[in-house]
Amino acid sequence: MPRVLVIIPAYNEQETIVGVLASLKKHVPDYDVVVVDDGSADQTASLVRANPPTALVRLPHNLGIGGAMQTGFKYALRNGYDIAVQCDADGQHPVEQLHLLVERLSKDDTDMVIGSRYVADSGYVPSFSRRVGKSVLSRLVDMLIGGGITDTTSGFRAINRKALKVFASRYPDDYPEAEALVIMHMAGLSAVEIPVKMLPRQGGVTSIRPPHAAYYMIKVGLAILVDLFRRPKGIRGEP
Amino acid sequence: MEGYTQTGIQTVHRVGILGLSLLLVLVVLELVRRGYLRERYALLWLGTAGLSLLIGIFPGIITALAALFHFQYLTVLFTMYFVFTLAIVLCFTIVISRMSERNRQLAQELALLARQVEELRQKSEGDIPDSIS
Repeated sequence: MPRVLVIIPAYNEQETIVGVLASLKKHVPDYDVVVVDDGSADQTASLVRANPPTALVRLPHNLGIGGAMQTGFKYALRNGYDIAVQCDADGQHPVEQLHLLVERLSKDDTDMVIGSRYVADSGYVPSFSRRVGKSVLSRLVDMLIGGGITDTTSGFRAINRKALKVFASRYPDDYPEAEALVIMHMAGLSAVEIPVKMLPRQGGVTSIRPPHAAYYMIKVGLAILVDLFRRPKGIRGEP
Repeated sequence: MEGYTQTGIQTVHRVGILGLSLLLVLVVLELVRRGYLRERYALLWLGTAGLSLLIGIFPGIITALAALFHFQYLTVLFTMYFVFTLAIVLCFTIVISRMSERNRQLAQELALLARQVEELRQKSEGDIPDSIS
């Protein structure tokens, strides 16, 4: 039995966090759960304390989703977990299908399993600007890493210890999912995807709004192109 | 029309360059002395001021460049200062990027350590109220 850690990055998620924690307790009671509070200003932390998961890690200020996830990766690595699963705090990720990611990863022929939304019956309809930005980038990333991933921006994913080590030393700040695939690829690791059914947002506000779509595309596009020409060792000054 | 010939640099311009360069040197040194500016960044500014002084002392550099590119010497002068400024700003953005990466690592370490302290504290004396974070 591998030791599994579910990482929940949470930034002002007081509306949904309790539901997500309860749902994890119900569907995957064997998995440990760490909530990384990314400098929330609302009741997120106290609600988590009232429904304690395995651990609550509170960042002193907001680092963005990438910085929060990386904190979770470091926690997983230092506490000897074999597998880490990312699960959003907004309730969009289908917790009852989380074990599918872990089971697929346990076959040991890949380093990351992505829960993909883009299958016929996934019931997921993203906004227009999001769709355009994502499809262009998705194709670019998929091409760069040698194909096989249609949903490169899904945050519902499980990784093994090898990938944990890579991401603990280097992980993008914001909109990290697509770029993370390229970083993995450059480190010689592989990813597969399996279909999952996503839920609509359960509350709170989404972090990607239309004005951000252009920034998202340019920033991630640039980062990905730069990644390709970077030596695999990581950035300067990194241990 | 003296300023538009390529033969020499107007005295008033030369005095201006020398004056501004010396002023920059004095201001930077004073800022370092008061502790507002760190030596390693002061060097950037002193380097700029030094090059500027050089131009003031040997204005032939400017007129030669102007002749080479068929520009008026004032254009060359402004372009040089613009390039100095760009170089300094680029250095600053490099410094900021490095600082934000370190800031991120520090924040993560702090959060993980705070969590560990909390855990140890709960383990050793379960009845102490949780006052961390």
